[in-house]
Amino acid sequence: MSYDQKLVLSPAPHLKAKDTVSSAMFDVIYALMPVTLVSVVLFRYYAVLLIAVCLVTAVLTELLFRKILNKPVTLHDGSAIVTGLLVALLFGPGTPWWTAALATFIAIGLAKELMGGLGWNRFNPALFGRVAVILIYPLFYNVTAAFASLRPYFGPIDTISQATPLAMLMQGADLLPLSHLFFAYAGGSLSETSALAILVGGIFLIYKKHISWHMPAAIIGAVFIMAMVMGENPLYHILAGGVMIGAFFMATDWVTSPITLKGKVIFGVAIGVLLMLFRVLLAPTEGMAFSILLMNAFVPMIDRVTRRPSFSEPKEKTVPLLKRPGVRKPPVHGVGR
Amino acid sequence: MEVKTFKGGAHVPHYKSYTENKPITRLSLPQEVIIPLLQCLGEPCEPLVKAGDKVKIGQKIGDSKEFFSAPVHASISGIVKAIEKRTVPSGGEDDCIVILADDGPQEFEMKQVRDPENVDLEIYRKCVREGGLVGMGGAALPTHIQTKHDDGVNTLLLNGAECEPFLTCDHRLMLEKTEALVKGAELKMKSIGAQRTLFGVEVNKPDAIKAINELIKDREDMEVVPLAVKYPQGFKSHLIKAATGRDVPRGARSAQLGCIVRNVGTTVAALEAYVYDKPMIERIVTVSGPKVARPGNYLVRIGTPASHILKECGMEEIENHKLVLGGPMTGLAQPHLEVPIVKCTTGVIILPPEMTREWMDYTDCVRCGKCVDHCPMMLYPNQISIWAEKDMYDEAEKGDLMDCIECGICSYICPAARPIVHWVQRAKPEIKKRQRSRK
Ligand code: SF4
Ligand code: SF4
Repeated sequence: MSYDQKLVLSPAPHLKAKDTVSSAMFDVIYALMPVTLVSVVLFRYYAVLLIAVCLVTAVLTELLFRKILNKPVTLHDGSAIVTGLLVALLFGPGTPWWTAALATFIAIGLAKELMGGLGWNRFNPALFGRVAVILIYPLFYNVTAAFASLRPYFGPIDTISQATPLAMLMQGADLLPLSHLFFAYAGGSLSETSALAILVGGIFLIYKKHISWHMPAAIIGAVFIMAMVMGENPLYHILAGGVMIGAFFMATDWVTSPITLKGKVIFGVAIGVLLMLFRVLLAPTEGMAFSILLMNAFVPMIDRVTRRPSFSEPKEKTVPLLKRPGVRKPPVHGVGR
Repeated sequence: MEVKTFKGGAHVPHYKSYTENKPITRLSLPQEVIIPLLQCLGEPCEPLVKAGDKVKIGQKIGDSKEFFSAPVHASISGIVKAIEKRTVPSGGEDDCIVILADDGPQEFEMKQVRDPENVDLEIYRKCVREGGLVGMGGAALPTHIQTKHDDGVNTLLLNGAECEPFLTCDHRLMLEKTEALVKGAELKMKSIGAQRTLFGVEVNKPDAIKAINELIKDREDMEVVPLAVKYPQGFKSHLIKAATGRDVPRGARSAQLGCIVRNVGTTVAALEAYVYDKPMIERIVTVSGPKVARPGNYLVRIGTPASHILKECGMEEIENHKLVLGGPMTGLAQPHLEVPIVKCTTGVIILPPEMTREWMDYTDCVRCGKCVDHCPMMLYPNQISIWAEKDMYDEAEKGDLMDCIECGICSYICPAARPIVHWVQRAKPEIKKRQRSRK
């Protein structure tokens, strides 16, 4: 009788927290929805086209590389969709769709799958794709010209999209009111349209415990202080450009950021400092992408220097038990002897 | 109330409401008991009886000359049916004495033979050893090896944390046998030469804290330490850290730590062994699970097969469920129902298919850091899991894999569903072998 029943056998622990990689990835997608919607409202079909192209490319690239590498398909973990969406959000509405597609292909194919797949990639895939197309753009100059006729026309782009706020800052143009940058402004890339929308998504991720607040706080704090020191307008630097999306969605990427809290704070501060140096000394835009990618390379080192000792590692000095403050009752002698 | 705790750890759902208000009740006797000859962390016993012998309840039926061992006793009166290999809760098969009940007396006579007020420590220690006492919280270390007076030890720390989900047997014991617990603590304190006793209890058992406080309010040498509700609060080193603030370096001796940790159940059992000469023939077991018709805290004879318990609790059809002996974080899943309750079995937990963590498909580590945040040993389970999975034992050893207490938090929390603890358990013997050969 009781020998016949089939029981489930598997090692302890027998309980499992609900979060899975795919549930976390889908939470990231939900968190990106506010800014995605704002960008679609502002840029209309230009935004829709970019997002659609990147998502399709992301899925196809992942399928292709999994097939070539002979690995099981892992589309259900949602990471390809997250990367595709992030790549799309990194481009401005006037970007030719093949540039975005190429960036997505590089992000998923090279930066993720060829590095060993999700978990082994050293660099943030979306940023890697974005920066790669910037660097190789000259090679594709002719291609772009040849492809030009393939661009769909959804109305004049200049009437929907305005100048990039950071470029305006560097050119000494009149600065935008901060409230525009915070709520909604149709300039720069899709993800730079509304700091508020990013913040809402970021708070959702913090609430869901997928990211800790320390890293965005470290990045934004470092940008603020650096801007003050360098005589720049701190709030303008935080709200314009890629700081918000970078701080909440890019730097916090699980795979490519340090593993401990301490490491995350060091990482965040370094990104903020690098960003301000980049913006002021080199170029007004793309500073966030370069700073995060640069720091991605230092993650193993940060992990090494922040390594904490095991709980059982003997400490230098041990506090005598009975003299410790916090043990309330004094020892009682002479009991029981 | 000042609540104490340690760094790391996680809040695991409790599932204690099924049984926390169920008073301890006696379970009916099984027809047959299965007494494993090895029920402690140490050496197995030699049988003192043979098939066909008549045994009386409480009779010693197995013993060993080794120091690290504890004798076993007949938990019912009857005839020895066989001494054979049976499935044991610790995994695999082992020698067991199987006893068939007869019409002899089936209740242990609780007759006071010694006065607890006037304790003879030599006899106390002998009673603990002869009674076959082992740690009842799950570790199953023979109790008698830590009954001697040791100069450095000034604190007795009683473990009533009960941090594992579902389990409530210690909770009920603290509530219903408070007097015996305090008496037992006093005896124990005398025997190890400690000057004070701390009762470490998680604050989700306010009634137990109140009951103990009520009894010890006039005592200078006893105190309840309220502990935060956090897994693995009841593990020895974390209990010590939380209650006393002491660090617990690897391999530290009790004298260095200044304290000895005892499970509350063992403390009461030691008192009963001294006062009534009662050996370890029964224990309180939490029988629980969302589908169990009559969950509760039952006084069960050692050796009772799980099938008997489940029948009594109204849960016979458990196809595709998981039967766990112990708590769901560290207990072992059993292959069938004919496994006996042993001295350290804290619970019989039935998890329905929707709750069980099957061999989920796991993926590569995505470096989310959750295991690192929550590991109570401050290890890097992510790295350890990669090394242990790939048999990179030297790296794993350097990564302090041997410090892992197998609490299960990392596997519980990992979004990639990596069976980290399983790999750790596989790697440990291998690393131990290497360490030994190096010496
Ligand atoms: S590595 Fe060991 S001690 Fe750390 S959480 Fe995992 S099982 Fe617990
Ligand atoms: S919880 Fe799992 S996925 Fe996250 S860091 Fe640890 S091992 Fe990796």
